[in-house]
Amino acid sequence: MDQITVPRIDIHRLTRRLPSGGRELTILDQVDLAISPGEFVAVLGPSGSGKSTLLALMAGLDRPTSGEIRIDGEPIQNLSEDGLALLRRRKIGFVFQSFQLLGNLTARENVLLPMELLGLADAPARANELLDAVGLQDRGHHYPSQLSGGEQQRVALARAFAPRPAILLADEPTGNLDGATGRKILEILTGLWRREGTTLVLVTHDPAVAALADRRIHLLDGRIEREETAAKLQPAEVLS
Amino acid sequence: MSPRFFFNTLIRESRGARGRLAFFVACLSVGVAAVVAVAGMSASLDEGVRTEARQLLAADLAIEGRRPVPPGLDFAKAGLGGAQRTDLKEMVTVVLARTSQVVELRVVNGEYPFYGELELQPQRPLSELLGPESVVVGSELLSNLGLRQGDTLRVGGAPFRIAGVVLSEPDRVSISFTIGPRVFMSSEGLARTQLEGKGSRVGHRTLIKLPASFSAERLPQAKERLESALDSTWYQVETYKEAQPALRNSIDRVDRFLGLVALLSLFVGGIGVAQSVRAWLSSRLDAIAVLKCLGMRPHEIFLLYLGQTALLGLAGSLVGIVLGSAVQLALPSLFPDLIPAELVRPWQPTALLRGLALGVGVAVLFSLPSLATVLRVPPARVLRRDAEPLPSHRWVTAATLIVLGTGIWVMATAQSRSLDLGSRFTAGMVLVTALLAGAALLISWMVRRLPRESLPGRIWMRHGLAALARPGSGTVSAIVALGLGVLVVLGMSLVERRLSSQLATAIPPDAPSAFLIDIQPAQWPGVHDILLKQGASRVDSVPVIMARVSAIDGRTVEQLAAEAEARRRKREEEERDGGEEQEGDRQGARRWALTREQRLTYLKELPADNRLVEGKLWSDPARAEVSVEQEFADDLGLHLGSTIRFDVQGVPLELTVTSLRTVDWQTFGINFFLVVEPGVLEKAPQLRLAATRLPRGSEQGVQDALAAAYPNVTMIRVREVLEKIAGVLERIGVGIRFLGGFTVLAGIAILGGAVSAGSARRGREVALLKTLGMTRPGVAGAFAVEYALIGLVAGLIGAAGATVLAYMVVTRGFELPWELQAWPVAAALGGAVALAVGAGLAASARALERRPIEVLRAE
Repeated sequence: MDQITVPRIDIHRLTRRLPSGGRELTILDQVDLAISPGEFVAVLGPSGSGKSTLLALMAGLDRPTSGEIRIDGEPIQNLSEDGLALLRRRKIGFVFQSFQLLGNLTARENVLLPMELLGLADAPARANELLDAVGLQDRGHHYPSQLSGGEQQRVALARAFAPRPAILLADEPTGNLDGATGRKILEILTGLWRREGTTLVLVTHDPAVAALADRRIHLLDGRIEREETAAKLQPAEVLS
Repeated sequence: MSPRFFFNTLIRESRGARGRLAFFVACLSVGVAAVVAVAGMSASLDEGVRTEARQLLAADLAIEGRRPVPPGLDFAKAGLGGAQRTDLKEMVTVVLARTSQVVELRVVNGEYPFYGELELQPQRPLSELLGPESVVVGSELLSNLGLRQGDTLRVGGAPFRIAGVVLSEPDRVSISFTIGPRVFMSSEGLARTQLEGKGSRVGHRTLIKLPASFSAERLPQAKERLESALDSTWYQVETYKEAQPALRNSIDRVDRFLGLVALLSLFVGGIGVAQSVRAWLSSRLDAIAVLKCLGMRPHEIFLLYLGQTALLGLAGSLVGIVLGSAVQLALPSLFPDLIPAELVRPWQPTALLRGLALGVGVAVLFSLPSLATVLRVPPARVLRRDAEPLPSHRWVTAATLIVLGTGIWVMATAQSRSLDLGSRFTAGMVLVTALLAGAALLISWMVRRLPRESLPGRIWMRHGLAALARPGSGTVSAIVALGLGVLVVLGMSLVERRLSSQLATAIPPDAPSAFLIDIQPAQWPGVHDILLKQGASRVDSVPVIMARVSAIDGRTVEQLAAEAEARRRKREEEERDGGEEQEGDRQGARRWALTREQRLTYLKELPADNRLVEGKLWSDPARAEVSVEQEFADDLGLHLGSTIRFDVQGVPLELTVTSLRTVDWQTFGINFFLVVEPGVLEKAPQLRLAATRLPRGSEQGVQDALAAAYPNVTMIRVREVLEKIAGVLERIGVGIRFLGGFTVLAGIAILGGAVSAGSARRGREVALLKTLGMTRPGVAGAFAVEYALIGLVAGLIGAAGATVLAYMVVTRGFELPWELQAWPVAAALGGAVALAVGAGLAASARALERRPIEVLRAE
């Protein structure tokens, strides 16, 4: 059967305005964007260009002022808070600049949490496998405060991939790390992306990091300024 | 979300916050301890009274009589074949050795006690020690009169040898009010005295011991049969199963009242709980956002934190239960006069469960408003840390408040076992809380609008003021909590002080200081002489004629008493379901007024403290007239024109009510409910009653002289009696203040908690101020100003509330004139300020100690 590929993420005339000091500030302005399953898209742009807002809207963390977002063909902008939570639980993983691990959970428990929410039977095995994949097999019992920044971000990566999300959203995942550690994180991230076949949307202001992506979206003042689908580089080449 | 996952997450979520939540547990446990202590103590006393019932009655059955129980009463006919009987006569009289003393005399005719132990020195049965010429006396009588065993004592004019000393009596509980030490005497002994003259006040009591084969289930039946064999107008039968109904009733009433005071301290603790949950959640906002990001639904997260709160509530309640039980164990030794240790049974499962249920209930209820924040945390906070919780929906706020109010009402009703009391308590609590919160907001608003820069004073003064206006500073809850504490403690202390001062000073300067009762008319000139010789002034004496009402408006007193009793029972049944008991009490009072022995006097003119309110004095030459005190007339259902038939020691006498009057009892003058017109009773057998004012210090001399010459005359010293009543009030006051202390304690904990909850922010504030060049004392000064203001506002509103509360209780409850007492109010204000500053500074100590760089680097 001939399959018409439905975009994993389909954004149509997406606008977000915020009240600010008595007037309205337009953060995103009529953005159109479609991302295919398994694609790696980097979103670039200076501070305040609307990168993080775009990411938040894709994840249902924020609601658009107007426009439409579809995930696997289903519009999400009218879902309830519960509906959005369930959507995230089933389809979306996150990696943040500031790691956002739960401080009162061990590394392993952090990885287990999203799988437990889904009630996955293989959660313990998968947690072991992922901790192994990020090179922290021996440190699962440590609390986040006992880990370095790079190690925390590796736990965050394992947690993000754990429930096999269709989409992984990463917000400046190397922003808080030094060069070498950042390089290592990107290596693990792209490795897992390739292995799991996830759709990856990565926000960054670092062109070198963006160079790893299939496609690069440049945002400026809430609009897509340009798109590139230049040849991809390997992480080692980009960051060397 | 599977239950297993829920509980796993619940346990994991509690890890980080354990230290902070110690405060939660502290707040809650103080209140629970108060509840458990009160509930446990009253349940324990009640159980003690019930299990020791036989001992407390010293018999299986007792007949209380206003007349001697007929000696020929046939027990077999009443189905009590084989029962043993002991007759007791009880009276208050004066004994004399070198000096004299008022005593409670008990004349024992038969075996005593049937149950329980009468501890005597020497350890021999009472019947062996008591002879025609010997008595056994309470140990305090020996010490009061400087006597020893074997010495001689005069009772009712006859000499008696002290053959033994009473160490403890089974049926004399230390909480009951006593007039004087005990003296036991045999009936042969009594016959030698002059105490049983006509008209003397003697109480009759017959104790009955049933044969061992008699089963306890048949007791009520036996009681009924005895009652029908006796005239219920004069006799009352009591079984050990219903032992000490008055005592148990007062335990029940005190339990309801103190239970509410304890509940209040639990509610104040609840404010602390709410505050600590809020502080805790505000530190968990990031985690909540992450959980939402990972796909947890808002209501799942809400349940998670609600579960946490319930668990903590459970922990706090358990700690409270332990504390409360410890208090209960310690109380009898702390206040030996207040609680008889022999009656305390500390293991009271229902009290512990009550504490647990109320503790968890308060924890969950009071946390609801804070927990609702969970629903409003924007998940976008994972990307933008400054995303604060969204403002709550108006209806969510309203629903939360309704749930909270209803919960408080349910708890108060359960705790007081009265719909009415529970509703009033809730309304009062809501009103006071609203006032306190409103005042706190007003102060905060005013401070915000104050032109701070133009204020005189140092920088720390301005900074302290500014801190009060800061949003989310926890000022409101601290003021509410501390204010409630001040209200309870000061309110109760004001009431108690007013009552004591009333007792101590309300005796007008010309009021009599002693009453002399049971004077035979022939003895009066001699008694009068003794009084004058001892410097007595304002000697006043009236004749007293003992009589009983036999009919009112043609209906016999038996009919009327039976009707009143039937109404009382009916009311009591209704009240058992519904709550209040004034009406049942009123019917009881009516029955009492009908059947008791009445004291009549005859006077040409009414004393100055009487005021006619209806009718005219001695206005009908055709009939024998009586003037009746108004409230007494209400009790008996009398009105102008009513006829009362009296039985004056065998002689019938019909009187018509021609006037009603009010009496100002506070003058302590001699007054009667029933005053008869002159010319009617002069020939009737009578005694005299005298009142006089004795020079201070001469009372003992008068009593000694009277006891020697007229041993049947009893002198009651007004001051002593008032002091005894004041003593009882003092004991109750101690109990209330003790519990009020829990409320203050909770208030202080909350204040300290409010400060330490904001310690991160406070630390940063201190660091910045120090970096900007403010010295540590300067910063401490600014904080002190802030806390002092909190204490002052809480103290002012609490004191105002306490004054209103005390005013209502004093003027409505006790019907006394109001008197403002300045210094307890001032002390409460000072105390509130001192406590607030102390608790606040103590909680900020760590923030003040840290070097600025440590804090700023951690940012």
